[in-house]
Amino acid sequence: METLYILAGLFTLLFLGVPVAFALAGLGWILLEVGGFSPLMVAQGMLSSTDNFILLAVPLFLLMSNVLLQGGVGRDLFAAVQAWVGHWPGGLAVATILSCGIFAAISGSSVATAATIGTVAIPEMAQRGYPRPFVLGLLAAGGTLGILIPPSIPMIVYGFITEQSVIALFLAGVGPGLVLIFFFCVYAMAYARLAGGYQGSDVASWTERRRASIRALPSLALAIFVVAGIYAGAFTPTEASAMGFAFALVITVLVLRSLSWDGFVVAVCQSMVTTATILLIVAGAKVFGKAITLYRLPQDLSAVIVQTFTEPAMFVVVVALVLVLMGLVLEALSMMLIMVPVLAPSLLPLGIDPIWFGVFFVIMVECALITPPVGLNLYVIQAVSRAPLGQVAKGVWPFLLMMLATVALIYVVPDIALFLPFNL
Amino acid sequence: MLQLYDRFTDLAAWLAAWLYVAAGAMLGYEVAARYLFTAPTIWAEELSRFCLVWGTFLAAAALLAKRQHIRIGLVVDRLPMAFRRVAEALSLGFVALLSAVIVWHGSGIAFDSFERGRTAGTMLDLPMWWGEAAAPVGFAMLGVQAVIELAKLARGAPLPATDHGES
Repeated sequence: METLYILAGLFTLLFLGVPVAFALAGLGWILLEVGGFSPLMVAQGMLSSTDNFILLAVPLFLLMSNVLLQGGVGRDLFAAVQAWVGHWPGGLAVATILSCGIFAAISGSSVATAATIGTVAIPEMAQRGYPRPFVLGLLAAGGTLGILIPPSIPMIVYGFITEQSVIALFLAGVGPGLVLIFFFCVYAMAYARLAGGYQGSDVASWTERRRASIRALPSLALAIFVVAGIYAGAFTPTEASAMGFAFALVITVLVLRSLSWDGFVVAVCQSMVTTATILLIVAGAKVFGKAITLYRLPQDLSAVIVQTFTEPAMFVVVVALVLVLMGLVLEALSMMLIMVPVLAPSLLPLGIDPIWFGVFFVIMVECALITPPVGLNLYVIQAVSRAPLGQVAKGVWPFLLMMLATVALIYVVPDIALFLPFNL
Repeated sequence: MLQLYDRFTDLAAWLAAWLYVAAGAMLGYEVAARYLFTAPTIWAEELSRFCLVWGTFLAAAALLAKRQHIRIGLVVDRLPMAFRRVAEALSLGFVALLSAVIVWHGSGIAFDSFERGRTAGTMLDLPMWWGEAAAPVGFAMLGVQAVIELAKLARGAPLPATDHGES
């Protein structure tokens, strides 16, 4: 019964339009007061969750990708990939997906990925006569690779909530990320073959390929440097984000000379907005999480779950279903911050690996990012392309199915995710 | 007067933005110092966290004024205008109330640390209240901003458009 009241309270506040961060913190405070616990925890929880070295990676990875975005790295990356695969069937679409995948390796945010590649790829593909819903869906879905392929802001947040190694989570995202890229590419080629109607690109000359590749090389090197540095233990994920930010500046200011001072200021301000909104939600969720734990809500729910689901598969299916539904109406990161603390206690008794669950959850967050009516990536693509939301939503559902298929695949073959973190 | 306050919170958000950059610079220097000069610093880790805490709370008020906090507009944005204004007023009132709670308890925590001279017990051993003051200061600014937004609403100002963040 208590659970129902709490849920009703939460959704009332959220649907009233109270900012998520304050809805969570405020409801946490009310619960503490009603339950006779010390409300001191509201201020304490807000403070302790932001005073955290792991979360420091959030603003720095955002600074890195926003600097690259402002420096026009997306254009170079797309041009280089296009020079190699542009003449394939559906070549531009394949180039778009691969560019998203590569940019994902230097960006921890799906929105930055969708915006960076979308800005260059959408006009190009539209010009070549690719059907509009397909193009928009492709970009919205391709952008979500940003949070599955490391670095990834949701994975940092997941690691923070569940006290799991961010490095292991990053590593575990690589395999499923490649699977998704593969699915998307195969779909793009098949779609292009069947639908036709677009104008193919010519095979690029070797000079063109060389020129385009050299311009994209620094960004590629940066991706490898950041990821390899973390895995080799040269620096922590947080330090890697700082190094990535520094090298992003070196590349865009010194090597490519494409970042103006104004562009840098835009990147800095944009990163601030995103960081502060995300971290305040993290802080609010911390307070809310503390409060419901004192009400023994996750513990009781976990007991019910363990009794109800003898099979982990059932649990995963039900959670996936709930997350798809929640993803329709909730903002993606909020969904993670509300649900993970509630579900985490059930993982151990069911024998589900928390790293695997993190990857699973991030793919579900990706689904939430592209399912209307509330899906941040849809808004981004809508803003970049100035297309109606309905058109974006129409193009998105085949990709949604592929993501869910990937979830099923990593359930059947967990090693797709877990091989790297457990064997490296 | 109200514009002046908006300018003030804007300035705080601008400061927050550069605090994050400063944190990046410190950590970048830390890695360089460790590998190039084999001389890691004692201040980079702690001061960069300090930047994160202050940056986050200082930005809160300006983000409210610009409606940049992440919210679920799904239901409320489809209601008739009169309902939307009521919902907005309730929402701002809720933010103001929460701000008051956090200012009250948060300043208590910080003041307590100040009086007892509590320090972090780390290498740098900064006074605890330096960081702890961030929450009451930030939420005081946020609370005042919420009241100002309420006043604007009561005067019949149009609802500002919301701006989506990212994740």
